[in-house]
Amino acid sequence: MDDRSQARQLIGSLLVAALIVVVAIVVVTAKLGPTSAAELDAREDRLKQRIEQQEELTKQQQEARKERLERRDRGGE
Amino acid sequence: MEDLVDSLTRGNATEVKVVLASVVLALAVYQLALIAIAYGRVRPPFLHSRPAARAHRAIGDMLLVLIVVVALMCLAAYGWDDDGGAHAVIGAALLGALACKVAVVRRGGRLGRLLPLLGMTVFALLALTWLASAGDFLGVG
Repeated sequence: MDDRSQARQLIGSLLVAALIVVVAIVVVTAKLGPTSAAELDAREDRLKQRIEQQEELTKQQQEARKERLERRDRGGE
Repeated sequence: MEDLVDSLTRGNATEVKVVLASVVLALAVYQLALIAIAYGRVRPPFLHSRPAARAHRAIGDMLLVLIVVVALMCLAAYGWDDDGGAHAVIGAALLGALACKVAVVRRGGRLGRLLPLLGMTVFALLALTWLASAGDFLGVG
């Protein structure tokens, strides 16, 4: 077998190895995706934001109720 | 060291380690195929034994670097915690087997007969190390 053919086969083998690396990274990253630290942080931020919005809404509702009650009391007097 | 690993991986040291370890395992399986061709156990028409042996050597050198990097990341992130006892022991055995294999490859001579045994030992330890950490993390094994 000549040198050229051997070199071609060697390069082909190394290209297959590169392909294996790419496939392994894609498969494992796809499986890890939702558990990455960045994603977890983002999820935590979203949850915190939602809780804050809910607290704000509850506070507004309580204030509105309090105002209504005060107005009714004043009207009753 | 821990800070360096953390900043390089942007806080995803475990995930990066899992990806690297999985790449190493996938390439190790390919290494088995290459060495089988190099030793003439398998004779595919598209790959001769000599280029297969050279590719096995080149990929092996790269794998050695990757394994050492993963081991250093592991030590930096977790140290010698008791939690990963089995993983730490198998990992240390893997590094020892790898060192032996590299020494035998460099020395050559009669010890060369031990290479298939050492290669299989390295592969088995690699698979066990992966199963004890990355595999666990990915829900395999």
